[in-house]
Amino acid sequence: MNLKRELPTTTLSGFALSGLLVLTILNILLQNMPTKIQTAGDALLKLNATEGVANAVTTVVVFFRGFDTLGEIAVLFIASLGIGLMLHSNAKCNIKVESNFMLQTASTLLFPIILLFGVYVMIYGHLSPGGGFQGGVIIASAVLLLLISHKEFEVPHSVIVALETFAGVSYVLIGLIGLFVLDTFLGNFLPHDISQMGLLLSGGIIPIIYIIVGIKVGSEMSMIVQNLIKRDHDV
Amino acid sequence: MTGLIILLTFMGLIIVSFAVITQKKLADSIILFMGMGLGSVVLFFIFKAPDVALTEAVISAGISSLIFLMALKHLGEQR
Repeated sequence: MNLKRELPTTTLSGFALSGLLVLTILNILLQNMPTKIQTAGDALLKLNATEGVANAVTTVVVFFRGFDTLGEIAVLFIASLGIGLMLHSNAKCNIKVESNFMLQTASTLLFPIILLFGVYVMIYGHLSPGGGFQGGVIIASAVLLLLISHKEFEVPHSVIVALETFAGVSYVLIGLIGLFVLDTFLGNFLPHDISQMGLLLSGGIIPIIYIIVGIKVGSEMSMIVQNLIKRDHDV
Repeated sequence: MTGLIILLTFMGLIIVSFAVITQKKLADSIILFMGMGLGSVVLFFIFKAPDVALTEAVISAGISSLIFLMALKHLGEQR
């Protein structure tokens, strides 16, 4: 009786049960372990040449796993939506400290360059490291620089709405066209000859989809950043 | 040579992450966290993942540090 009171039996039995479960799952996993773990992506990389895209990572992300990318973009949209719902305010500006002259001049000079670099990373995503996600985030960082330096600057809401709607709808539309033409969602229905590999216009729909992803990610991240900076302080 | 760079970056990352969790001021932790992001950018690049390195560079230096700093500002006003 005394012993039962001193020992936290519920917690201990919970620990024992979860340990047993972990051991069982570990045992099952170890028995069914594939023999060649490090060659898991080789089958996909061998297929890469059929799409005529120089950057193999882009082919995997946008084409072989294109449906997952659609889901990732939806997740980012929901995150942006939540932040907008929680932190949106109509106040013009909540930054009390005035940014200094150096930051204002430098950001005016640097903004077009960063924007251009973001667009370059986005458009050349199928040829060199980079792509839609990276380019979109770089564009959002350019917007962030303007937001912290210019008090009156604000990304127009209608532009964000138009860009995001266009990007989301056209991603699904391209997938549906592929479904009708080639019987596969996101099928590569544009010409993608392997002899064109390395050119800017190569790879069929893959660069188009990555540019769409870049537009969507850029507008969503810009909106997140703006909502975080210009918000009511009594939230 | 590459092995040496990897080893030094790993050791630096471990030291910086200890510094991150032991700082008294939260603002110092955030600045050091950005440094940790820089170290992982080097590691990603050495391990032949330039795409990930590019993303990590932009996210850790720009966006995530902004989010942390904004949260810190909000916390400081509430205290």
